[in-house]
Amino acid sequence: MKKTLGLAVATTTAALVLTACGGGATGSTTDPSAGASGNAGKTITLWLAGTDTPKELRTYLQDTFKSKTGATLKIEEQSWGDLVTKLTTSLPDPKNTPDVTEIGNTQSPTFTNVGAFSDVSDLYPELGGSKLLQSFVDVGSVDGKQYALPYYFGSRYMFARKDLWKEAGVAAPKTLDEFNAAVKTITAKNPRTIKNFSGFFLGGQDWRNGISWIFANGGELAKQENGQWVSTLADPNTVKGLTQLQDLYRNASKAPADAKDQTPWLYVNDADEILDESGNVTGKTSLAAATIMAPGWAHWSIGDLKDKDGKKVREWNDAKFSAFVLPGNDGKPAPVFAGGSNIAISKASQNQALSKELLKIIFSADYQKKLGGAGLGPANTDYVSSLGDDQFAKALIDSATNSKLTPAAPGWATVESKMVMEEFFSKIRDASDLTALAREYDAKITPLLNLK
Amino acid sequence: MTSTATAPPETAPAPEPTAPARPARRHTPAWLVLPSLVLLVAALGYPVGWQVVTSFQHFGMMQQFGQPPEWVGLANYASLVTDPELWVIVGRSIVFCLVCALSTVAIGLGLALLMGAVSRAGRLVLQVALLLAWAMPVVASMTVWTWIVNWRNGLLNWVLERVGVDAQGHNWLVEPLSFLVVAAVIVVWMSVPFVALSIYAGLTQLSPEVLEAAEIDGAGGWKRLRHIILPLVAPVISIVLLLQLIWDLRVFTQIKLLQDAGGVANETHLLGTYIYQLGTGAGDFGMASAVSILMLLLTVAVSWYYVRSLMKEES
Amino acid sequence: MSRILGPASSRHSTRGSTRRSVLTVVAVLVALVWAFPVYWMVNSAFLDKVTLQSSTPTFLPFGGSFDNFATVFGDAGFIRALGISLAVTLVTVAAAIVIAFLGALAISRFRFRGRRSFILALLLIQMLPAEGLFIAQYKMMSSVGMLNNVLGLALLYTAAVVPFTVWMLRGFVAGVPVELEEAAMVDGLSRTKAFLRITFPLLAPGLVASGVYAFLQAWNEFTVALVVMTEEQSRTLPLWLRGFVQASATRETDWGQVMAASTVVAVPVIIFFLVVQGRMSNGLVGGAVKG
Repeated sequence: MKKTLGLAVATTTAALVLTACGGGATGSTTDPSAGASGNAGKTITLWLAGTDTPKELRTYLQDTFKSKTGATLKIEEQSWGDLVTKLTTSLPDPKNTPDVTEIGNTQSPTFTNVGAFSDVSDLYPELGGSKLLQSFVDVGSVDGKQYALPYYFGSRYMFARKDLWKEAGVAAPKTLDEFNAAVKTITAKNPRTIKNFSGFFLGGQDWRNGISWIFANGGELAKQENGQWVSTLADPNTVKGLTQLQDLYRNASKAPADAKDQTPWLYVNDADEILDESGNVTGKTSLAAATIMAPGWAHWSIGDLKDKDGKKVREWNDAKFSAFVLPGNDGKPAPVFAGGSNIAISKASQNQALSKELLKIIFSADYQKKLGGAGLGPANTDYVSSLGDDQFAKALIDSATNSKLTPAAPGWATVESKMVMEEFFSKIRDASDLTALAREYDAKITPLLNLK
Repeated sequence: MTSTATAPPETAPAPEPTAPARPARRHTPAWLVLPSLVLLVAALGYPVGWQVVTSFQHFGMMQQFGQPPEWVGLANYASLVTDPELWVIVGRSIVFCLVCALSTVAIGLGLALLMGAVSRAGRLVLQVALLLAWAMPVVASMTVWTWIVNWRNGLLNWVLERVGVDAQGHNWLVEPLSFLVVAAVIVVWMSVPFVALSIYAGLTQLSPEVLEAAEIDGAGGWKRLRHIILPLVAPVISIVLLLQLIWDLRVFTQIKLLQDAGGVANETHLLGTYIYQLGTGAGDFGMASAVSILMLLLTVAVSWYYVRSLMKEES
Repeated sequence: MSRILGPASSRHSTRGSTRRSVLTVVAVLVALVWAFPVYWMVNSAFLDKVTLQSSTPTFLPFGGSFDNFATVFGDAGFIRALGISLAVTLVTVAAAIVIAFLGALAISRFRFRGRRSFILALLLIQMLPAEGLFIAQYKMMSSVGMLNNVLGLALLYTAAVVPFTVWMLRGFVAGVPVELEEAAMVDGLSRTKAFLRITFPLLAPGLVASGVYAFLQAWNEFTVALVVMTEEQSRTLPLWLRGFVQASATRETDWGQVMAASTVVAVPVIIFFLVVQGRMSNGLVGGAVKG
């Protein structure tokens, strides 16, 4: 009885949302008396990961949800590092599950495959369909049905020291080969004779950035064959990428063998304090690289050191720094690993209809544009222009068009938690036979990919 | 703390000081033990039972999300003990654990004796310093330690350079041995306060007369320590040593956070981190449970001799 | 406290007092070394994140600011988390000490059937890794409706510290000769009074040590709290602190803020210790031994 009522309400409100979107209205003009009465006492819970969704957007969600459905939206923030643990315990528990939750994109396959989320295939076309970022849709789908949809994306691109590139006499690269050659040249010339200077700083265990070279050469980490996932590190295209990586590790990067993808931007910044009291040069270790690859938001941490209101801050300087997308072999952006997250309805939720209403608000033009305005790549590619048109927005959009994710295999999370990729990458530099090494790790990874 | 002050009046009638078996008080010990038993059964009964049962099942994310678990008997255990990697890590962990636990207790005992031998002000300074270290949230202390050993701008390299060692850019975490030494220093630093303060608490129970008498008799410092002080605080030392052995064998957080900062994880695993990624990290809770039980057995094995001698003292 | 204590003191000779001064210097040096990471945390709490990434260390927070602390105290979740942590911790400490004290009395002053099994069980429980228990703990607390419940969390914490505190206190109870109490009773004191006047003061150091231990375990525990305190309103301080570390996927962590938050989290522990220490040395039980 209660359920049918909820459904009826949902359909009414759905119709209202549709009209609101279609008419391009701001979305808050809905007649509150329509759906509000039945939902007034209800509350649904949305889990957001980290502080990434700004306060303004949260308020928008809560207000819009209230005015459209009459129900209350409770938003709880979960810390990124603990999200998996909390989802593991809470999602199966109907009494305590969040109704809707954000989830990291590489965490999506596991939860999608075990059936933690509701099937939203029926809603998929209405929420954006093929306009939604495909690689993110893939990690939230099983057997052609959609469960977890993209929420926002970020992407990785290159940050370079213009001045150092010039001093080394190399031009901005148009293709991947040019890039590889350029950074090797910079390392060899070491224009400012800095100890352990890298033309391109790539940590020995930094597979999240490194896999771009695999993708750029047409390689894959894993693929699905007859319903089973198989690791494909030893495929010829993958090995081609690995060979280029080995070359970079040997001749372009002086990064420590154990470095991962944390804070690489430190190395392209100039020394923080150039002189000590007596005027001697200190802090010469600070500038250590001419190029790094990092998530787009790293630009907040790159630049000249400035004093602002008594605080030291980094201020981007176009004369010294540049941001560009890693070029592929064909000159177009290379496929890089995208960051970001998905969003899904908990299958155990007692408020399926209301949860779907929330999804509709999230995928509305209004909210998508707000995401872009906050610097988060909107899930619907129609609205990426809302990111702006500065060089960072441009690089983000360019790299995202061709972005890739880790395999949608249910067991990929296991591969990550066992740090197999870190271990594999740490061995690339000194491997005498890359194909053999790749085979060895294929054998390790394949059994982990499929859920037992 | 008022609770401690008020507790005894309620409990005082019960603890009759005289030893065994006066018929009237036959039930007293049962009443005394009852709260602990009820508490432990209520809080741990179900979880531990679940763990034992699950260790014989295939229980992964699928099962957590509603699929019926499948009985696999000893399969989880079998795949554990036949994993050659596990035994390498067991060996490494035992060495690490012994080194850490013994150094911790030795240093802790040293500091406890030091506290007893210095002026009141000196003692308070030392106690507060130790407590500060103990009270520091793990995430903060691990962050500070990783800053100290950071290859790029770490304090350790900075100081070494100032004293003329060419340590610029030296990476302390990349070599497994060096990584584990750093880890051991951190673990010992973190555990000494507990040991030192506990042993010192034990020392304070000794009456000064005993000690002074020993001195008048001409017993030297070392002899006095060995023959009078140590035997008297032996119960405290033995319990803290046992605890250190247990804790250091499965040390997890420190290693995990240090691995996040550097080092190659699969060359620096200790039992704690290894079993974490084998079970919980991989969403394989059947395996995680089997590993927990195996850890229990291993800990019993490592401390068997010790536990047995403790239990002998009991009878 | 020093009146009860002062073991091994050789306060009568001048040789002794020189030795004592030297040792005091040593003690202060050790204290400085041990507290250095703590100093570094506090120092960093005053610095901004760019300075923290500098390649030259900043030893003194000159030029630093209270901005990080302002952010921490301005955080709406802080006071709530502080309240919850205080409640959980104090309940844990009180319950653990009372329960463990009774258990310790039983095993050190009585011989009874099942005594050895009880002792062995206490040992084994401590050997069981707690990491694998969280799913079952969640299920249990959820089914009895005790998620997000201060008492529920305190129950789990008390169970976690009681095995150790029983062991610890048992050593102290055993360290008080029964004859002392009996002698007092011969002097005409009731059994209760004898216990209160003679035995209890001698246990004070043990109670303090166990109390500090229980306090710190409950204060800093993370995983169990993460799993059973599911709602934002019921977060404890370590969960709140974690929010600073892993705040965002699209901004780097501001370590200065993390350090400020950590400093704030550590302060109540120090206060607790100093209060307990002060109580113990002033009046409550002080002087009992020497009369």
